Amino acid sequence: MKFINDSRVRIAVLLESSGRVLAQHGFTRSIDVMSACALAAAIHASAAEIGRQLDGTPFTTLHHPGHERQIFLGELSTGRGAHILLTVFDDATSIGLVRLYFAELSRRLAVATTTPAAPPSFVDFESDLNRNLAKLFGRI
Amino acid sequence: MSLVNYAAREITCKIVYYGPGRSGKTSNLHYVYNQVPGDRRGSMVSLATQTDRTLFFDFLPLDLGSISGFTTRLQLYTVPGQVYYATTRKLVLQGADGVVFVADSQRRQIDENVESMQDLHANLAEQGVDARNVPLVIQYNKQDLPRELTMDVPELDDVLNFRGVPFHAGDALRGTGVFETLRSISELVLRRLSGAAAPRVAVGQ
Amino acid sequence: MSKTPYAELLSMLSRHRGVVGSFVVSERDGLAVDSNVQIGVHAEAVAALAASLHRKARLACGAAGCGVVTFLRLDAEKGGICAAGRDDLVLVTISEARANIGLLRVEMMRAAKALT
Repeated sequence: MKFINDSRVRIAVLLESSGRVLAQHGFTRSIDVMSACALAAAIHASAAEIGRQLDGTPFTTLHHPGHERQIFLGELSTGRGAHILLTVFDDATSIGLVRLYFAELSRRLAVATTTPAAPPSFVDFESDLNRNLAKLFGRI
Repeated sequence: MSLVNYAAREITCKIVYYGPGRSGKTSNLHYVYNQVPGDRRGSMVSLATQTDRTLFFDFLPLDLGSISGFTTRLQLYTVPGQVYYATTRKLVLQGADGVVFVADSQRRQIDENVESMQDLHANLAEQGVDARNVPLVIQYNKQDLPRELTMDVPELDDVLNFRGVPFHAGDALRGTGVFETLRSISELVLRRLSGAAAPRVAVGQ
Repeated sequence: MSKTPYAELLSMLSRHRGVVGSFVVSERDGLAVDSNVQIGVHAEAVAALAASLHRKARLACGAAGCGVVTFLRLDAEKGGICAAGRDDLVLVTISEARANIGLLRVEMMRAAKALT
Protein backbone atom coordinates (compact mmCIF):
# COMPACT_ATOMS: atom_id res chain seq x y z
CA MET A 1 0.00 0.00 0.00
CA LYS A 2 2.90 2.33 0.67
CA PHE A 3 4.01 2.00 -2.94
CA ILE A 4 0.50 2.77 -4.20
CA ASN A 5 0.07 5.79 -1.92
CA ASP A 6 3.50 7.20 -2.74
CA SER A 7 3.57 6.57 -6.46
CA ARG A 8 -0.15 7.33 -7.05
CA VAL A 9 -0.58 4.55 -9.59
CA ARG A 10 -4.13 3.43 -10.42
CA ILE A 11 -3.42 -0.28 -10.65
CA ALA A 12 -0.61 -2.30 -9.12
CA VAL A 13 -0.29 -6.07 -9.32
CA LEU A 14 2.51 -8.19 -7.95
CA LEU A 15 2.79 -11.44 -9.85
CA GLU A 16 5.00 -14.44 -10.29
CA SER A 17 7.00 -14.72 -13.49
CA SER A 18 4.69 -17.59 -14.50
CA GLY A 19 1.75 -15.13 -14.44
CA ARG A 20 0.13 -15.98 -11.12
CA VAL A 21 -1.20 -13.14 -8.97
CA LEU A 22 0.38 -12.53 -5.58
CA ALA A 23 -1.24 -9.24 -4.58
CA GLN A 24 -3.23 -6.58 -6.36
CA HIS A 25 -4.79 -3.15 -6.03
CA GLY A 26 -7.19 -1.56 -8.48
CA PHE A 27 -9.09 -4.44 -10.06
CA THR A 28 -12.59 -5.26 -8.88
CA ARG A 29 -12.89 -8.85 -10.17
CA SER A 30 -10.11 -11.23 -9.20
CA ILE A 31 -10.65 -13.21 -12.38
CA ASP A 32 -9.86 -10.12 -14.49
CA VAL A 33 -6.55 -9.72 -12.69
CA MET A 34 -5.52 -13.14 -13.92
CA SER A 35 -5.86 -12.12 -17.58
CA ALA A 36 -3.87 -8.96 -16.97
CA CYS A 37 -1.18 -10.98 -15.21
CA ALA A 38 -0.97 -13.57 -17.97
CA LEU A 39 -0.39 -10.77 -20.47
CA ALA A 40 2.05 -8.92 -18.19
CA ALA A 41 4.08 -12.08 -17.63
CA ALA A 42 4.14 -12.64 -21.39
CA ILE A 43 5.33 -9.09 -22.12
CA HIS A 44 7.98 -9.32 -19.43
CA ALA A 45 9.17 -12.75 -20.54
CA SER A 46 9.33 -11.59 -24.17
CA ALA A 47 11.32 -8.46 -23.35
CA ALA A 48 13.69 -10.47 -21.17
CA GLU A 49 14.16 -13.02 -23.92
CA ILE A 50 14.89 -10.32 -26.52
CA GLY A 51 17.58 -8.98 -24.18
CA ARG A 52 19.02 -12.45 -23.72
CA GLN A 53 19.17 -13.01 -27.44
CA LEU A 54 20.81 -9.62 -28.05
CA ASP A 55 23.64 -9.78 -25.55
CA GLY A 56 22.74 -12.38 -22.94
CA THR A 57 21.37 -9.81 -20.49
CA PRO A 58 17.59 -9.79 -19.98
CA PHE A 59 15.69 -6.51 -19.85
CA THR A 60 14.15 -6.16 -16.41
CA THR A 61 11.89 -3.12 -16.74
CA LEU A 62 9.55 -1.96 -19.46
CA HIS A 63 7.50 1.20 -19.96
CA HIS A 64 4.64 1.72 -22.42
CA PRO A 65 3.50 5.35 -22.54
CA GLY A 66 -0.02 5.84 -23.89
CA HIS A 67 -2.01 9.01 -24.42
CA GLU A 68 -3.81 8.85 -21.09
CA ARG A 69 -2.63 5.67 -19.41
CA GLN A 70 0.83 4.23 -19.10
CA ILE A 71 2.15 0.83 -18.13
CA PHE A 72 5.30 0.12 -16.20
CA LEU A 73 6.53 -3.42 -15.67
CA GLY A 74 9.49 -4.19 -13.48
CA GLU A 75 11.20 -7.23 -12.08
CA LEU A 76 11.70 -7.50 -8.33
CA SER A 77 13.97 -9.93 -6.51
CA THR A 78 12.43 -11.30 -3.34
CA GLY A 79 13.21 -14.01 -0.83
CA ARG A 80 11.05 -16.27 -3.00
CA GLY A 81 12.72 -15.52 -6.32
CA ALA A 82 11.97 -13.03 -9.06
CA HIS A 83 8.53 -11.43 -9.21
CA ILE A 84 7.03 -8.84 -11.53
CA LEU A 85 5.23 -5.62 -10.65
CA LEU A 86 2.65 -4.42 -13.15
CA THR A 87 1.46 -0.84 -12.73
CA VAL A 88 -0.99 1.27 -14.68
CA PHE A 89 -0.96 5.00 -14.08
CA ASP A 90 -2.21 8.27 -15.55
CA ASP A 91 -1.14 11.89 -15.36
CA ALA A 92 -1.60 11.95 -11.58
CA THR A 93 2.00 10.74 -11.46
CA SER A 94 4.94 10.23 -13.81
CA ILE A 95 7.21 7.43 -14.94
CA GLY A 96 10.02 9.06 -12.97
CA LEU A 97 8.05 8.85 -9.72
CA VAL A 98 6.87 5.32 -10.46
CA ARG A 99 10.45 4.23 -11.10
CA LEU A 100 11.60 5.98 -7.95
CA TYR A 101 9.09 4.21 -5.69
CA PHE A 102 9.52 0.97 -7.59
CA ALA A 103 13.22 1.05 -6.66
CA GLU A 104 12.25 1.65 -3.03
CA LEU A 105 9.74 -1.23 -3.10
CA SER A 106 12.37 -3.44 -4.68
CA ARG A 107 14.80 -2.70 -1.84
CA ARG A 108 12.14 -3.43 0.79
CA LEU A 109 11.05 -6.69 -0.79
CA ALA A 110 14.63 -7.87 -1.23
CA VAL A 111 15.14 -7.93 2.53
CA ALA A 112 11.69 -9.29 3.37
CA THR A 113 11.84 -12.91 4.38
CA THR A 114 9.16 -15.49 3.96
CA THR A 115 8.67 -18.82 5.59
CA PRO A 116 7.56 -21.55 3.23
CA ALA A 117 4.24 -22.99 4.35
CA ALA A 118 3.32 -26.63 4.53
CA PRO A 119 1.21 -27.96 1.65
CA PRO A 120 -2.54 -27.85 2.19
CA SER A 121 -4.14 -31.11 3.17
CA PHE A 122 -6.69 -32.23 0.61
CA VAL A 123 -8.48 -35.14 2.16
CA ASP A 124 -11.05 -36.66 -0.16
CA PHE A 125 -10.91 -33.64 -2.45
CA GLU A 126 -12.15 -35.70 -5.41
CA SER A 127 -15.80 -35.26 -4.49
CA ASP A 128 -15.34 -31.45 -4.22
CA LEU A 129 -13.49 -31.41 -7.53
CA ASN A 130 -16.09 -33.52 -9.33
CA ARG A 131 -18.96 -31.47 -7.94
CA ASN A 132 -17.35 -28.15 -8.94
CA LEU A 133 -16.33 -29.30 -12.40
CA ALA A 134 -19.78 -30.74 -13.03
CA LYS A 135 -21.26 -27.43 -11.90
CA LEU A 136 -18.93 -25.53 -14.23
CA PHE A 137 -19.99 -27.62 -17.20
CA GLY A 138 -23.65 -27.49 -16.27
CA ARG A 139 -23.91 -31.24 -15.75
CA ILE A 140 -25.82 -31.12 -12.48
CA MET B 1 4.48 -24.65 -8.48
CA SER B 2 0.86 -23.93 -7.57
CA LEU B 3 0.32 -20.71 -5.71
CA VAL B 4 -1.32 -21.21 -2.32
CA ASN B 5 -2.49 -18.16 -0.38
CA TYR B 6 -3.18 -19.41 3.14
CA ALA B 7 -4.45 -16.08 4.44
CA ALA B 8 -7.11 -15.86 1.73
CA ARG B 9 -7.37 -19.68 1.43
CA GLU B 10 -6.88 -19.54 -2.32
CA ILE B 11 -5.09 -21.85 -4.71
CA THR B 12 -4.11 -20.98 -8.27
CA CYS B 13 -2.94 -23.67 -10.66
CA LYS B 14 -1.44 -23.17 -14.11
CA ILE B 15 -2.37 -25.78 -16.68
CA VAL B 16 -0.79 -25.69 -20.14
CA TYR B 17 -2.32 -27.33 -23.20
CA TYR B 18 0.61 -28.51 -25.31
CA GLY B 19 0.77 -30.27 -28.66
CA PRO B 20 1.51 -29.87 -32.35
CA GLY B 21 0.00 -27.15 -34.52
CA ARG B 22 -3.72 -27.52 -35.29
CA SER B 23 -4.15 -30.43 -32.89
CA GLY B 24 -7.07 -28.71 -31.12
CA LYS B 25 -5.60 -26.98 -28.07
CA THR B 26 -7.44 -23.72 -28.69
CA SER B 27 -10.63 -25.69 -29.49
CA ASN B 28 -10.43 -27.25 -26.01
CA LEU B 29 -10.33 -23.82 -24.41
CA HIS B 30 -13.11 -22.50 -26.65
CA TYR B 31 -15.34 -25.38 -25.65
CA VAL B 32 -14.61 -24.81 -21.95
CA TYR B 33 -15.23 -21.08 -22.38
CA ASN B 34 -18.60 -21.66 -24.05
CA GLN B 35 -19.77 -24.19 -21.48
CA VAL B 36 -18.80 -22.41 -18.29
CA PRO B 37 -21.15 -19.78 -16.77
CA GLY B 38 -19.91 -16.20 -17.13
CA ASP B 39 -19.48 -15.63 -13.40
CA ARG B 40 -17.06 -18.57 -13.14
CA ARG B 41 -14.69 -17.55 -15.90
CA GLY B 42 -12.76 -14.51 -17.04
CA SER B 43 -12.59 -13.34 -20.62
CA MET B 44 -10.63 -15.56 -22.97
CA VAL B 45 -7.47 -13.88 -24.13
CA SER B 46 -6.20 -15.01 -27.51
CA LEU B 47 -3.02 -13.66 -28.98
CA ALA B 48 -3.52 -15.00 -32.46
CA THR B 49 -2.44 -14.25 -36.02
CA GLN B 50 -4.87 -12.85 -38.60
CA THR B 51 -5.65 -16.40 -39.63
CA ASP B 52 -6.52 -17.36 -36.04
CA ARG B 53 -3.40 -19.43 -35.48
CA THR B 54 -2.14 -19.03 -31.92
CA LEU B 55 0.73 -16.53 -31.96
CA PHE B 56 1.68 -16.39 -28.30
CA PHE B 57 -0.98 -18.14 -26.24
CA ASP B 58 -4.64 -18.44 -25.42
CA PHE B 59 -5.56 -17.88 -21.82
CA LEU B 60 -8.68 -18.72 -19.88
CA PRO B 61 -9.02 -18.22 -16.12
CA LEU B 62 -11.59 -20.41 -14.37
CA ASP B 63 -13.00 -20.16 -10.90
CA LEU B 64 -13.36 -23.78 -9.87
CA GLY B 65 -15.07 -23.09 -6.55
CA SER B 66 -14.19 -24.39 -3.10
CA ILE B 67 -12.10 -27.53 -2.77
CA SER B 68 -11.29 -28.71 0.74
CA GLY B 69 -12.01 -25.18 1.94
CA PHE B 70 -9.73 -23.47 -0.58
CA THR B 71 -11.07 -21.22 -3.34
CA THR B 72 -9.44 -22.87 -6.32
CA ARG B 73 -8.67 -21.18 -9.61
CA LEU B 74 -7.34 -22.72 -12.78
CA GLN B 75 -5.40 -20.80 -15.38
CA LEU B 76 -5.62 -22.58 -18.71
CA TYR B 77 -3.01 -21.71 -21.33
CA THR B 78 -2.32 -23.04 -24.79
CA VAL B 79 1.01 -22.83 -26.56
CA PRO B 80 1.48 -22.11 -30.27
CA GLY B 81 2.07 -25.46 -31.91
CA GLN B 82 4.15 -24.52 -34.93
CA VAL B 83 7.80 -25.50 -34.73
CA TYR B 84 9.11 -21.95 -35.21
CA TYR B 85 7.41 -20.66 -32.06
CA ALA B 86 9.81 -22.68 -29.87
CA THR B 87 10.84 -19.73 -27.72
CA THR B 88 7.25 -18.73 -27.02
CA ARG B 89 6.36 -22.28 -26.01
CA LYS B 90 9.15 -22.25 -23.45
CA LEU B 91 7.91 -18.97 -21.99
CA VAL B 92 4.33 -20.18 -21.65
CA LEU B 93 5.40 -23.50 -20.17
CA GLN B 94 7.32 -21.76 -17.40
CA GLY B 95 5.82 -22.52 -13.99
CA ALA B 96 3.20 -24.97 -15.28
CA ASP B 97 1.61 -27.13 -12.60
CA GLY B 98 0.20 -29.56 -15.12
CA VAL B 99 0.26 -30.25 -18.84
CA VAL B 100 -2.43 -31.53 -21.17
CA PHE B 101 -0.87 -32.93 -24.33
CA VAL B 102 -3.37 -32.62 -27.15
CA ALA B 103 -2.38 -35.09 -29.86
CA ASP B 104 -3.75 -35.03 -33.39
CA SER B 105 -5.15 -38.50 -34.12
CA GLN B 106 -4.69 -38.19 -37.87
CA ARG B 107 -2.33 -40.87 -39.15
CA ARG B 108 -0.30 -38.36 -41.18
CA GLN B 109 0.32 -36.25 -38.05
CA ILE B 110 2.04 -38.94 -36.00
CA ASP B 111 5.54 -37.56 -36.59
CA GLU B 112 4.40 -34.08 -35.48
CA ASN B 113 2.90 -35.60 -32.32
CA VAL B 114 6.12 -37.42 -31.45
CA GLU B 115 8.20 -34.35 -32.18
CA SER B 116 5.96 -32.17 -30.01
CA MET B 117 6.07 -34.65 -27.12
CA GLN B 118 9.87 -34.67 -27.33
CA ASP B 119 9.85 -30.88 -27.47
CA LEU B 120 7.73 -30.78 -24.30
CA HIS B 121 10.17 -32.98 -22.41
CA ALA B 122 13.18 -31.06 -23.72
CA ASN B 123 11.66 -27.73 -22.65
CA LEU B 124 10.81 -29.01 -19.19
CA ALA B 125 14.33 -30.36 -18.81
CA GLU B 126 15.75 -27.02 -19.94
CA GLN B 127 13.78 -25.34 -17.15
CA GLY B 128 15.28 -27.75 -14.65
CA VAL B 129 12.03 -29.64 -14.22
CA ASP B 130 11.94 -33.42 -14.08
CA ALA B 131 9.21 -34.22 -16.59
CA ARG B 132 8.28 -37.35 -14.64
CA ASN B 133 7.14 -35.15 -11.75
CA VAL B 134 4.90 -32.90 -13.84
CA PRO B 135 1.26 -34.04 -13.96
CA LEU B 136 0.48 -34.94 -17.56
CA VAL B 137 -2.71 -36.03 -19.30
CA ILE B 138 -2.92 -36.92 -22.98
CA GLN B 139 -5.96 -36.22 -25.15
CA TYR B 140 -6.17 -38.04 -28.48
CA ASN B 141 -8.16 -35.44 -30.34
CA LYS B 142 -10.04 -35.65 -33.65
CA GLN B 143 -11.25 -39.19 -33.01
CA ASP B 144 -14.45 -38.16 -34.81
CA LEU B 145 -12.65 -38.11 -38.18
CA PRO B 146 -13.14 -41.08 -40.55
CA ARG B 147 -11.36 -44.21 -39.33
CA GLU B 148 -9.25 -44.47 -42.49
CA LEU B 149 -7.64 -41.10 -41.66
CA THR B 150 -6.97 -41.65 -37.97
CA MET B 151 -5.07 -43.96 -35.68
CA ASP B 152 -7.12 -45.53 -32.93
CA VAL B 153 -6.44 -44.78 -29.28
CA PRO B 154 -4.44 -47.92 -28.31
CA GLU B 155 -2.26 -47.43 -31.37
CA LEU B 156 -1.57 -43.79 -30.46
CA ASP B 157 -1.04 -44.71 -26.84
CA ASP B 158 1.66 -47.18 -27.82
CA VAL B 159 3.59 -44.45 -29.59
CA LEU B 160 3.06 -41.45 -27.32
CA ASN B 161 2.21 -42.59 -23.82
CA PHE B 162 5.50 -44.08 -22.70
CA ARG B 163 4.93 -42.74 -19.19
CA GLY B 164 1.57 -44.47 -18.86
CA VAL B 165 -0.28 -41.27 -17.93
CA PRO B 166 -4.08 -40.88 -18.01
CA PHE B 167 -5.48 -40.37 -21.50
CA HIS B 168 -8.78 -39.55 -23.15
CA ALA B 169 -10.18 -39.79 -26.64
CA GLY B 170 -11.43 -36.41 -27.78
CA ASP B 171 -13.42 -34.40 -30.25
CA ALA B 172 -12.73 -30.92 -28.93
CA LEU B 173 -14.99 -29.17 -31.45
CA ARG B 174 -18.03 -31.00 -30.08
CA GLY B 175 -16.68 -31.27 -26.54
CA THR B 176 -16.10 -35.00 -26.35
CA GLY B 177 -13.36 -35.70 -23.82
CA VAL B 178 -12.79 -32.02 -22.99
CA PHE B 179 -14.45 -32.15 -19.59
CA GLU B 180 -12.85 -35.51 -18.76
CA THR B 181 -9.39 -34.23 -19.71
CA LEU B 182 -9.78 -31.14 -17.53
CA ARG B 183 -11.04 -33.25 -14.65
CA SER B 184 -8.06 -35.62 -14.93
CA ILE B 185 -5.42 -32.93 -15.02
CA SER B 186 -7.07 -30.96 -12.19
CA GLU B 187 -7.12 -34.07 -10.05
CA LEU B 188 -3.46 -34.86 -10.74
CA VAL B 189 -2.38 -31.28 -10.02
CA LEU B 190 -4.33 -31.04 -6.76
CA ARG B 191 -3.18 -34.48 -5.69
CA ARG B 192 0.43 -33.48 -6.29
CA LEU B 193 -0.11 -30.22 -4.41
CA SER B 194 -1.41 -32.03 -1.35
CA GLY B 195 1.59 -34.33 -1.46
CA ALA B 196 -0.57 -37.41 -1.79
CA ALA B 197 0.63 -40.40 -3.75
CA ALA B 198 -0.14 -40.39 -7.44
CA PRO B 199 -3.36 -42.18 -8.27
CA ARG B 200 -3.45 -45.43 -10.12
CA VAL B 201 -3.49 -44.57 -13.78
CA ALA B 202 -7.05 -44.47 -14.94
CA VAL B 203 -7.72 -45.43 -18.50
CA GLY B 204 -10.45 -43.19 -19.80
CA GLN B 205 -11.89 -42.99 -23.26
CA MET C 1 24.92 10.74 -19.17
CA SER C 2 26.16 11.71 -22.64
CA LYS C 3 26.63 15.36 -23.54
CA THR C 4 23.37 17.12 -24.44
CA PRO C 5 22.57 20.72 -25.53
CA TYR C 6 22.01 21.50 -21.83
CA ALA C 7 25.47 20.47 -20.62
CA GLU C 8 26.95 24.00 -20.79
CA LEU C 9 23.95 25.58 -19.12
CA LEU C 10 23.99 23.08 -16.25
CA SER C 11 27.72 23.42 -15.83
CA MET C 12 27.32 27.17 -15.52
CA LEU C 13 24.63 26.83 -12.85
CA SER C 14 26.61 24.25 -10.91
CA ARG C 15 29.55 26.64 -10.67
CA HIS C 16 27.50 28.95 -8.42
CA ARG C 17 28.58 28.94 -4.81
CA GLY C 18 26.57 26.41 -2.76
CA VAL C 19 24.90 24.71 -5.74
CA VAL C 20 25.30 20.93 -5.43
CA GLY C 21 23.30 19.89 -8.43
CA SER C 22 21.36 21.12 -11.43
CA PHE C 23 19.04 19.26 -13.80
CA VAL C 24 16.86 19.65 -16.82
CA VAL C 25 13.80 17.54 -16.15
CA SER C 26 10.79 16.58 -18.21
CA GLU C 27 7.78 17.61 -16.14
CA ARG C 28 5.49 15.03 -17.72
CA ASP C 29 7.84 12.08 -17.30
CA GLY C 30 9.71 13.12 -14.17
CA LEU C 31 12.90 11.96 -15.84
CA ALA C 32 16.16 13.90 -15.94
CA VAL C 33 17.03 14.95 -19.49
CA ASP C 34 20.47 16.02 -18.32
CA SER C 35 22.10 16.60 -14.96
CA ASN C 36 25.23 17.96 -13.35
CA VAL C 37 25.36 16.81 -9.74
CA GLN C 38 27.90 16.29 -7.02
CA ILE C 39 28.57 12.81 -5.70
CA GLY C 40 25.96 11.82 -3.15
CA VAL C 41 23.04 13.60 -4.81
CA HIS C 42 20.37 11.09 -5.82
CA ALA C 43 19.71 12.65 -9.22
CA GLU C 44 16.86 10.39 -10.35
CA ALA C 45 14.90 10.81 -7.12
CA VAL C 46 15.30 14.58 -7.00
CA ALA C 47 14.38 14.88 -10.69
CA ALA C 48 11.19 12.87 -10.29
CA LEU C 49 10.08 14.65 -7.12
CA ALA C 50 11.01 18.16 -8.34
CA ALA C 51 9.08 17.59 -11.58
CA SER C 52 6.07 16.54 -9.53
CA LEU C 53 6.48 19.62 -7.33
CA HIS C 54 6.63 21.93 -10.34
CA ARG C 55 3.57 20.34 -11.86
CA LYS C 56 1.58 20.82 -8.66
CA ALA C 57 2.74 24.43 -8.41
CA ARG C 58 1.69 25.04 -12.02
CA LEU C 59 -1.74 23.52 -11.40
CA ALA C 60 -2.17 25.43 -8.14
CA CYS C 61 -1.28 28.74 -9.78
CA GLY C 62 -3.60 27.96 -12.67
CA ALA C 63 -6.46 27.14 -10.30
CA ALA C 64 -5.80 30.27 -8.25
CA GLY C 65 -5.82 32.44 -11.36
CA CYS C 66 -2.19 33.48 -10.87
CA GLY C 67 -1.16 32.54 -14.38
CA VAL C 68 1.97 30.72 -15.44
CA VAL C 69 4.55 29.73 -12.83
CA THR C 70 7.81 31.51 -13.53
CA PHE C 71 9.94 30.51 -10.57
CA LEU C 72 9.58 28.10 -7.68
CA ARG C 73 11.70 28.29 -4.55
CA LEU C 74 11.59 25.82 -1.70
CA ASP C 75 13.62 26.67 1.41
CA ALA C 76 14.61 23.94 3.83
CA GLU C 77 16.73 23.61 6.96
CA LYS C 78 20.00 22.92 5.17
CA GLY C 79 19.40 24.35 1.75
CA GLY C 80 16.74 24.52 -0.89
CA ILE C 81 15.41 23.62 -4.29
CA CYS C 82 14.68 26.09 -7.08
CA ALA C 83 12.82 25.39 -10.30
CA ALA C 84 12.07 27.40 -13.43
CA GLY C 85 10.10 25.85 -16.27
CA ARG C 86 9.40 26.32 -19.92
CA ASP C 87 6.76 24.14 -21.57
CA ASP C 88 7.46 20.56 -20.48
CA LEU C 89 11.06 21.19 -19.43
CA VAL C 90 12.00 22.33 -15.94
CA LEU C 91 15.35 23.58 -14.80
CA VAL C 92 16.02 22.49 -11.21
CA THR C 93 18.84 23.33 -8.83
CA ILE C 94 19.67 21.99 -5.39
CA SER C 95 21.64 24.34 -3.21
CA GLU C 96 23.10 24.59 0.27
CA ALA C 97 22.03 27.32 2.70
CA ARG C 98 25.07 29.45 1.81
CA ALA C 99 24.04 29.83 -1.85
CA ASN C 100 23.13 33.28 -3.19
CA ILE C 101 19.56 32.52 -4.25
CA GLY C 102 18.98 35.99 -5.72
CA LEU C 103 21.81 35.59 -8.19
CA LEU C 104 20.87 31.99 -8.86
CA ARG C 105 17.29 33.04 -9.60
CA VAL C 106 18.41 35.56 -12.22
CA GLU C 107 20.64 32.99 -13.89
CA MET C 108 17.91 30.32 -13.82
CA MET C 109 15.24 32.63 -15.24
CA ARG C 110 17.58 33.55 -18.07
CA ALA C 111 18.57 29.93 -18.68
CA ALA C 112 14.96 28.74 -18.59
CA LYS C 113 14.15 31.01 -21.52
CA ALA C 114 16.76 29.16 -23.54
CA LEU C 115 15.18 25.76 -22.84
CA THR C 116 13.61 24.23 -25.91
